[in-house]
Amino acid sequence: MFELLSRTLRYVFIVLIYYFLYNFLKIMIADLRGEKSQPKETGFILLDENGNKYTLFDINTLGRAEDADIIIDDPFISSKHALIFKRGSKLLIQDLHSTNGTFLNNKKITRPLRLKENDEITLGTKKFKFLRGETVGAEDRSYLQ
Amino acid sequence: MEPRTEAIYNKNIAITALVGILAALLLAFREGVFSPVPIYGSLIFIVIMFVGHFLTNHLFPKQDPALFILCCFICQLGLVMLYRIDPESAAKQLIWFGIGCLLYFISSFVCRTWIEIKVGPFIFFLVTFVLLASPLIFGVERYGSKSWISFGNFLFQPSELAKITFSLFLADTLKEHKIEDSIKFFGQIFVVLGLLAFARDLGGAMLFYFAALIIIFAATSRLDLTVLGLIGAVVAGLLGYQFFGHVRVRTKAWLNPWEDVPGKGYQIVQSLFAIAEGGFFGTGLGLGRPDYIPAVTTDFIFSAFFEEFGFLGASALIVVYFLLIYRGIKISLTIENSFLCLSALGITVFFGIQIFTIIGGVIKLIPMTGVTLPFMSYGGSSMVMSFISLGILNGIIMRALGGEADG
Repeated sequence: MFELLSRTLRYVFIVLIYYFLYNFLKIMIADLRGEKSQPKETGFILLDENGNKYTLFDINTLGRAEDADIIIDDPFISSKHALIFKRGSKLLIQDLHSTNGTFLNNKKITRPLRLKENDEITLGTKKFKFLRGETVGAEDRSYLQ
Repeated sequence: MEPRTEAIYNKNIAITALVGILAALLLAFREGVFSPVPIYGSLIFIVIMFVGHFLTNHLFPKQDPALFILCCFICQLGLVMLYRIDPESAAKQLIWFGIGCLLYFISSFVCRTWIEIKVGPFIFFLVTFVLLASPLIFGVERYGSKSWISFGNFLFQPSELAKITFSLFLADTLKEHKIEDSIKFFGQIFVVLGLLAFARDLGGAMLFYFAALIIIFAATSRLDLTVLGLIGAVVAGLLGYQFFGHVRVRTKAWLNPWEDVPGKGYQIVQSLFAIAEGGFFGTGLGLGRPDYIPAVTTDFIFSAFFEEFGFLGASALIVVYFLLIYRGIKISLTIENSFLCLSALGITVFFGIQIFTIIGGVIKLIPMTGVTLPFMSYGGSSMVMSFISLGILNGIIMRALGGEADG
């Protein structure tokens, strides 16, 4: 009697254990998806000549298109002009085969290049400065004084 | 917490309770006549689990409830196995489970309110040193290593507590992501390892060594140190093989247990037989022969579980452990403060290596070392300390999420 019960119940146990696992895996997958869909700030910004700030996330597209992450309205800029992305702890810039090219410190870039603080990025006629978020914050405060 | 996630968590609590009740009902009929003892045990377990889950959720809305549910589930399976092997130790283990839950609650609370301890790494090292040195002076020898302190009937292993202080020590030293005074730092680590080796707790020494290696790599991302460390591990292994008799015995038993089945290879051979007997679905609860395996309640509980729940059950258990480690790593990734991040990682890494070492040992993947399987093996200090470590992890995540608003 006990033997029969035990033999039957073992399948029940396994089903229960796997159901438990399935529930947790569901939560885990939801977690991982949620993390992906929420872009993280990198702490760096782009500053254009007029003093506009653009916060940089893990992946940013720059261009004229409305679905670009950073929209720049300039006739010399392609709709998807360049890409700034994070690899490890570094930010890299890549040209997306734009018509007029992307320039880093006045040199045309052909492959992804690492961005350093105070680098100058030129897209079309517009110039951007690559800065750490905090340094700009400090400057802002100095304006107020 | 989102209502949907909360519903899933509640469902999993219910599954844990259901597994317990079904197993208890089954075991109540084992002797042919009905005996209600396992049912009482399972009811006590359920009460502790429900109170623990809902009370902590109510008091700490920012906590990670998954940690508590996962370890309750593992404890539940462990208790079922223990009751089936030896009802008396299951009753003791149930008491330890209760104490563990209480300490989980307390350590979560203390960690949430603790303003980062500003004592510096040296104090953590000193505490670790004292903890590991104390059994050498006051300790008693059990299972071939002098790493136990006895209080009357109760045996306590201070190295379990030293795991926590050691990870705090590493985290505090490496919080700037570089090694400042390398001679002092490595000297301190080798003193700790030396104490463990001196107590002939080589499994423990291995655990501490690899945990230190992983944390140093995570903190400094230096590949050269990791490679050196791995070479060092090989050299240490060879030296251990030369100078420690029981390392040689264990390694030989691992390489070819069939050479000396009734003697040195006995444990591992019985464990392998049990695993083979289990097959895919297991023999069914209460139908295996765990009494053939030596030290089945402590080191070899995984083989007993494997025999009765089969390959499917045992691999699911490994995934549950993996989920626990995943939660720990996720917690340490969400934290900005590098001291807390590395502490969380250290605690998780200790769990991870310990689980790998013992499960790998009983299935003959690596040589057998006598460490406990957290939450499942019989043993008070292991159970209590595992709960405290998880409580610290929980406190760290509450600090990170709750921030300064309510902390």
